Amino acid sequence: MSIVRALPALVLLLASCAPAGSPAQNAPAATEIKVGAVLPLTGAFSASGNYFQQAYQLATDEVNGAGGLDVGGKKLPITLKVLDDGSDTTKSRSLVEQLATQEKVNALLGGYDTTLVQAQQGVPDQYKIPMVEGGGAASAIFTRGNKYLFGTLATIDDLGNITMDFLKYWEDQGKLPKPLKIALAWENTDHGKDYQAAVNKGAKDDPAHFQVVLDQSFDLNGSDFTPLLTQVKAANADAFLSDAHLPDFITMHRQYTQLGLKHKFVSYGARGPDQKGREALTTAADYLVAGLWWTPALTDQGSRTFTDTWKTKFNVTPDWFQALGYDTARVLYAGITKAGSLDGTKVRDALAGLEFTGALVPGNKISFDQTGKPKTTFLMTQNLPNNEVAIVWPSSLEGSKAAMLPMPGTS
Amino acid sequence: MYEPSAIAGLVVTAVLTAGLYALMSFGLALVYGVMKIINLAHAGTMMLSAFVVLELNHRFHLDPILGAIVSAALFLVVGMLLYVLAVRRVIDAPPIASLLLLFGVWLCAQNAAYFFWGSEDQSIVTSYTLATIPLGDVLVPVTRLIPFGASLIALGLLSWFLRSTDLGKAIRAVSQNSTAARLAGIRSGRVSTIAFGIGSSLSAFAGGLLTLLFSFTPDFGHTFQLKSFAIIVLGGLESFPGVALGALVLAVIESFSILIPGWRGSLVNLLAFTLLVAGLVLLPGGIASLLERRGKPE
Repeated sequence: MSIVRALPALVLLLASCAPAGSPAQNAPAATEIKVGAVLPLTGAFSASGNYFQQAYQLATDEVNGAGGLDVGGKKLPITLKVLDDGSDTTKSRSLVEQLATQEKVNALLGGYDTTLVQAQQGVPDQYKIPMVEGGGAASAIFTRGNKYLFGTLATIDDLGNITMDFLKYWEDQGKLPKPLKIALAWENTDHGKDYQAAVNKGAKDDPAHFQVVLDQSFDLNGSDFTPLLTQVKAANADAFLSDAHLPDFITMHRQYTQLGLKHKFVSYGARGPDQKGREALTTAADYLVAGLWWTPALTDQGSRTFTDTWKTKFNVTPDWFQALGYDTARVLYAGITKAGSLDGTKVRDALAGLEFTGALVPGNKISFDQTGKPKTTFLMTQNLPNNEVAIVWPSSLEGSKAAMLPMPGTS
Repeated sequence: MYEPSAIAGLVVTAVLTAGLYALMSFGLALVYGVMKIINLAHAGTMMLSAFVVLELNHRFHLDPILGAIVSAALFLVVGMLLYVLAVRRVIDAPPIASLLLLFGVWLCAQNAAYFFWGSEDQSIVTSYTLATIPLGDVLVPVTRLIPFGASLIALGLLSWFLRSTDLGKAIRAVSQNSTAARLAGIRSGRVSTIAFGIGSSLSAFAGGLLTLLFSFTPDFGHTFQLKSFAIIVLGGLESFPGVALGALVLAVIESFSILIPGWRGSLVNLLAFTLLVAGLVLLPGGIASLLERRGKPE
């Protein structure tokens, strides 16, 4: 038998000896990592969608600038493909499917906001392609048994929890009445229901510290909150807690101020330091307390570097959208490196056990529980006059200051 | 338990909200009254007007009240052009044609606004944004008084215009019977063009004044449009005093709903749509027709 005639048999023999699932058996060796994302680049969520796109691209450019991502000892460039869903939930899901079936992406980055992430969330499990998202904050996202979906955004129930921890601390310091009478208003969405559930649970578990004297819902994009605020006034509460998106926050707090309401503590959930909100409310936004995922006021090295890089590149100060988008992409890339493979299941398993250090979020670590929900938390900020923002919680954070409570101007 | 001052506050709120609702419904009622078409571009006009007022404020420091007047004049022309170029061509077609056309105009306006202004919330701040006037124990926001006053002025001017001017009488004649109006020598096409322009102008005026109260994006206006439908159905599709009454009924129900034990504030829009359905089924001619019938001798 000549060597030429024996060659095919030799190849088959060698191939059968290769470990199962190796690239040699399944496909030609990859020369790039295909990552896909569907974001709202136009339509109602386009402002935030574009922030996420810029952040994903920045993280990708950094990896490619360093020669590519380490996958099993080999550096591979990342190709990021971003599609625009126009802020439409139906389109969002079908475009993620398109990335999976036509573009054959190795991994996915999530969309923004909660509704669009919820529309996308079935696709990763269907095609066994891992997705990391940083744009959906409702805890309902992580209750559907998905194995290939991971979030980096601490959920709104945690926002309620940390707010209650913060209030308890200041009650014990004698700065707020004990028990604190709370008037609670929440938007009628998964987002708002998370907040309501957390505040009510906190009060039920600790009646010595909290008493919810009003628990009222409102619809998104309301035209008149005066009846609701009349209820708030009649409730004679010490604290007013509301979970609202930006337009409702602006309208509600304008009407709150016009009605002459004053509480010792006022928070609109994650709203407060937003520049658009501060411009619309002027001095009425001073001393409001907010729970955030990230703020440029953070002074740790990572946050400072990120803020400076972003300002240099885009000429604006980044907000949490950009920081979480950046963290989200970096977490996915860290998961791929840890897996040492582009195989979807291996990357999924690597992400499930990942402890990503060097994150921008408070605590600088991102890991996940069994449902894919992040084990991260919020920080609390307080608006100060002259458009300044102070970090007021947790006190362990570098640069954290004591909160001004009760809010100045209230007895 | 609510103190008397809280109840008084709700009364004031209901009246002021009624003014706001009436103001944003007059344009819709006028267009329906004359042309028997539902102007689905109404929300788009209000939204675009809000952005016009924003630009006038940012570029020329024009107060939103003056900005709303300028925008109303601008949309008088825009409305007439829209009628001549597009609406006129479907006016005699089945109603679905005008509905789809104007829905398309709304979507075009919305997407154009996303292109030019993006999706970030915009707002206008004036020296009186947070100002209030005390009325007994009740604090009345200045930014709510302005749309209320504007709606009273608009109602008075519209009533005078329709009753006392030749053009107004021609509009009324066309709205009552366009064929008979044509036979009497009224150029109904010209009258409809002007009426559509005035309707658009009223919508733009309302949209401009809404910037005193709300932040806005290109999505702005659809909730108000749905409430306007309920109001004009409730008030009587072609009657301005009826529209004002419809607005008052909706505002009173919304404001006092909090007194219902166990009430959820998130159900407030349900009230408007329940009124819309109930109005269509039980009171097809609206409150205006009810009052008309009661006024007639047996």
